[in-house]
Amino acid sequence: MKLKQMAAIIVIAYGVLAVLPMFVGDIPYIMNILIMCLIWAVVASSWDVIMGFAGIFSFGQVAFFVMGAYCSAILAINFHIPPVFTIIIAGFFTAGMGVLVGLPCLKLAGPYVALVTFGVHMALQPLLKGQIGIALGSGGALGLLAIPPISIFGYTFGTDNIVPTFYLILVISMACALTIMAMVKSYWGLAFLALKDSQPFATSLGISAFKYKLMVFAVTSFLTGIIGGVYGHFYGVLSVRMLDLDLFSILMVMILAGGLGHFPGAIIGSFLVVAASELMAPLGVYRAVTMGAIVVVLVLALPDGVMGVFSKRLNNHAQKA
Amino acid sequence: MIKVSNLNAYYGQFHVLKDVNITVEEKGVVVILGPNGHGKSTLLKSICGLAERITGDISLNGTPISQLPTEKIVDLGVVYIAETRELFPNMTVLENLKLGAYSKHARPFEAQNLEKVLDLFPRLADRRGQMASTMSGGEAKMLAIARGLMSNATFLAVDEPSLGLQPNLRTEVFNTIQTINEQGMTILLVEQNIPQIAQLASKIYVLEEGQITFEGSKDEAVSDDHLKEIFLGM
Amino acid sequence: MFNEDTILLLYEITDVIIAGLSNGSVYALMAIGMTLVYGVTKAFNFAYGDFFNMGGYFAWILIVGLGLQFGGYITVLIIVLPLLFLVGYGLEKFMVAPLRKRADWENRVMMLTLGLALFLSNLYMVLFGTKLKSLPPIMDGILEIGQIVFSYQDIMIFVLSLGGILTFGWLLNNTRTGMAVRAVAQNPEGAKIVGINIKRIFASTFAISTVMVGFGGILLSQKLFINPTSGGSIMVKAWVVTAFGGMGSIRGGLYAAFIIGMMEAFVGWIFGMSYTIIALFVLLLATLVIRPQGLMGKGA
Repeated sequence: MKLKQMAAIIVIAYGVLAVLPMFVGDIPYIMNILIMCLIWAVVASSWDVIMGFAGIFSFGQVAFFVMGAYCSAILAINFHIPPVFTIIIAGFFTAGMGVLVGLPCLKLAGPYVALVTFGVHMALQPLLKGQIGIALGSGGALGLLAIPPISIFGYTFGTDNIVPTFYLILVISMACALTIMAMVKSYWGLAFLALKDSQPFATSLGISAFKYKLMVFAVTSFLTGIIGGVYGHFYGVLSVRMLDLDLFSILMVMILAGGLGHFPGAIIGSFLVVAASELMAPLGVYRAVTMGAIVVVLVLALPDGVMGVFSKRLNNHAQKA
Repeated sequence: MIKVSNLNAYYGQFHVLKDVNITVEEKGVVVILGPNGHGKSTLLKSICGLAERITGDISLNGTPISQLPTEKIVDLGVVYIAETRELFPNMTVLENLKLGAYSKHARPFEAQNLEKVLDLFPRLADRRGQMASTMSGGEAKMLAIARGLMSNATFLAVDEPSLGLQPNLRTEVFNTIQTINEQGMTILLVEQNIPQIAQLASKIYVLEEGQITFEGSKDEAVSDDHLKEIFLGM
Repeated sequence: MFNEDTILLLYEITDVIIAGLSNGSVYALMAIGMTLVYGVTKAFNFAYGDFFNMGGYFAWILIVGLGLQFGGYITVLIIVLPLLFLVGYGLEKFMVAPLRKRADWENRVMMLTLGLALFLSNLYMVLFGTKLKSLPPIMDGILEIGQIVFSYQDIMIFVLSLGGILTFGWLLNNTRTGMAVRAVAQNPEGAKIVGINIKRIFASTFAISTVMVGFGGILLSQKLFINPTSGGSIMVKAWVVTAFGGMGSIRGGLYAAFIIGMMEAFVGWIFGMSYTIIALFVLLLATLVIRPQGLMGKGA
């Protein structure tokens, strides 16, 4: 996809979201959902770039998200650092963790990477719940209950003034999306395409798969950590239940619905899936079952997601013209 | 025995074979010559059901086989002997041979064929307990041919039997092929540019850029200046 | 010579070792199933642990749900194992096999089976509730040898899993199909050439691994409980054992399973059960850094 098309899709997607508060700004329930769209769009896109674009089968994105959220919240609660700074610190912390996980992983074959990163995910919950986590200030099984909201120059962004908060998060989310776009379309992106095409040839040009993969790991972890921090300060509460597989699966559905490896599909996927998930709320306990089934069906029936359908249309159109 | 009509084969986006027609008579040795990468192996693989995607017709004694899965084709007695070493590296020579007789119609003849094959390749008999991965190039080639014979085949598609072998071993392999043929086997054989093999041929085809550019007997091939120069080295 | 505390401690340690042995034997069963399916089909099954639970739930339905009277666990195995085979076979044939055409099929299979894992674990929750289910022991009573007490349950679990592994190993080495399975693992193209129907071998292998892990579930769920959401951690455990033992090495898997079973029993006893997964993870990282091919693996 061309840079222009990509940018247009991002701007249109965020633009549509940006006008919605004019109609639903006074319904906190819907505003909450819209903010979720913005947050998951970043996590899903980061994950998609790792899996679909860089071809690293990492299952650690939710763990990075939770790390970022906890890091920022703990710093704000225990050290009274303003959230604006803690969020940035969380970004760097998570990027560091990303590199730490990435270093041993990136030389391994696919299923081993999946296992190690999934292992990070699995190990994080007992770690945060247990003595070590409590010593770090994770609040144990109870989680964190009084995370201060973001405030800039004395103006507090919280659930009380949800419309400005929405726009703040929209700006952050879109900035993250554009960063990802820049990465995908930059020299790095070309390097990856070369690596995908022919690893030996790319290597002979001096393109090091390891270096680029590590950089993508760092950048996406950074963005995920930032948005994790934002999430914590917006919600005010955090618990290790985020590491249950529900969130994991719904993010997976977002990526698949958007089209794996078809950024910015994951953004559209996130918007669609958050909405669909809310519509599926009446299903109650069957919702998660349905989500699992949707993953299976999407992998089998719609391998390139909505972006696949979309770009096919676009191509047909171009051929006709 | 084997009749290939209008065969087209594709590998990914590449159109490897274009409207290829060949016939192999019962008990004949048909040799396909041609430069590397022009579709010779693909032609053999297409006949044996190992190609990625093909169109056109292939028939064995009048029965269409182009749409059958590999195992059915093997069961009908059509067997591919690979150019590359498609042996089972961490299995013994004997296990490799036994697997050669895996197909349903070969099973009842396993013991009988094993005896025959070990007679033909006494060296394999000495090494029956050795792992296939530890064998030399020549021995591995013998094992590949022997494994093919275990299938009780009536038609062998042999892919570059001389590849990577020293001249004395080549001669040995060719002699073996001649012996097998004299025992009644129909053979379709692919070679790059070995004059020796032409001596065996009952018919020669030349495959260039996916198309048959020459068809004729050994003598016709020898009298063709272009062929003489390029493939037969005469 | 010893005071009472020391003697009590020794008893406790003996119990921990017995637990490690019986758990380890089941891990071996699971790890070998995983080595097999990955080695032969190159498909990574993220729902592996949920098939462990499927075995447990099937047994629970028969024994507790339907109040099975006749034959106890023998009947359970006769009914459930073929059922698991069918589930595994169908899954490979209808879901995994169609993906093989794509270049990135390995990744897509991971996603597919992850979706399946979510589906199954949540389905278990819907069907059986979040409350843990327990299975009655396969055999009551204890065996006392001197001062050491073995429960018949532990002994049976140990014997049955090892029996399962030995039977499987025998089949692999001495039957035609077993030989075909090894052939496909070593050289799929070569296997096709000799007329092995590799699609059927893929599906059968997947099915056998499902049977092995489900059998493990039936055995081990008697001691632990059946937890609808535990599939992920069980899968990770099986995979760690497999990686530690060396991919593709059955003997390595066997050793690794007992080492990890022991390690887990001791870590659980000293630090608490919630730390076992962290210990596993540390072990995995150490393995991958120090000896990526595992204990007995042949290298990449």
